[in-house]
Amino acid sequence: MRIVCPFCGERELGEFTYLGDAKPVRPVAGASEDEVFDYVYLRDNVAGATSEYWYHGGGCRAWLKVARNTLTHEISSVEPALGAGAARVGA
Amino acid sequence: MADFSWVSRSPLEHALVTGTHGARGVEAGVSLTEIRNFDLIQVMARRGQAAELAKAAMARFGVAAPDAPKAVQTSDATLIWSGPDQFFVLSKGSKHTMQTLAPALSSPASLSDQSHARALIGISGSKARIMLAKLSSIDLHPEVFPIGSAAATSMDHTSVTLWRGGNRPDGQALFNLLVFATFAESLWHTMLDAAAEYGVDISHSEELA
Repeated sequence: MRIVCPFCGERELGEFTYLGDAKPVRPVAGASEDEVFDYVYLRDNVAGATSEYWYHGGGCRAWLKVARNTLTHEISSVEPALGAGAARVGA
Repeated sequence: MADFSWVSRSPLEHALVTGTHGARGVEAGVSLTEIRNFDLIQVMARRGQAAELAKAAMARFGVAAPDAPKAVQTSDATLIWSGPDQFFVLSKGSKHTMQTLAPALSSPASLSDQSHARALIGISGSKARIMLAKLSSIDLHPEVFPIGSAAATSMDHTSVTLWRGGNRPDGQALFNLLVFATFAESLWHTMLDAAAEYGVDISHSEELA
């Protein structure tokens, strides 16, 4: 598998580290225990389109958000994760 | 209080043995030169300050700092892309140090002195690209990786900054490699193994190529 880093171009998988599901959103302060438990521990085991965080640690050290299909391994989009590069915050 | 006298030493001073190594009876196909005693400052834009850093760098260096994987030559320094909104300033002779760069750049950027945290290795020779192909997944063909190209990548599971400098006087391509000081010896041995079959010329220099 190769990932096209938006900063570096196409690179081999060995340069990247998988962090996990990019879907969970941190609950607001004061959220219920169930919501926090869900955010911290519960993950879907998706067969199909997923959104994941990957870290380009062997390259530009940017965090990336990768849309990948777990059935075909097809990667449909790679974009900088929130905070990757000072100029691209919020991109 | 005790007085300390700090002596800077190359991370390769034990591993590097000057001379010709590897294949005998052929002209060395790879030449490895460690560059010693350089100034290297990492410049990283503060959050949301990339445009301000670009402006400040332009004013300081007279050329635009790289915003893509490139290495840019100024009159007395090389600016090497090292990631989104960050670059290295490589120079010699205390022209660009923390002290001299901070007034110009520390408002939009964080600076960090990496002079003694990296080893700098110049790789050239007729077989340099073939040797590097064993270690790197980057396509270094001159059409894809011309002079001024740079890459933040990994070799032998070690993070490196690789860029193509100006050709040597004999016209041969020169690849420059920055590697973490503590990984330098390991990568050096790996490169030596990869280059041995072509014959290797090993040296060190005080001059940036």
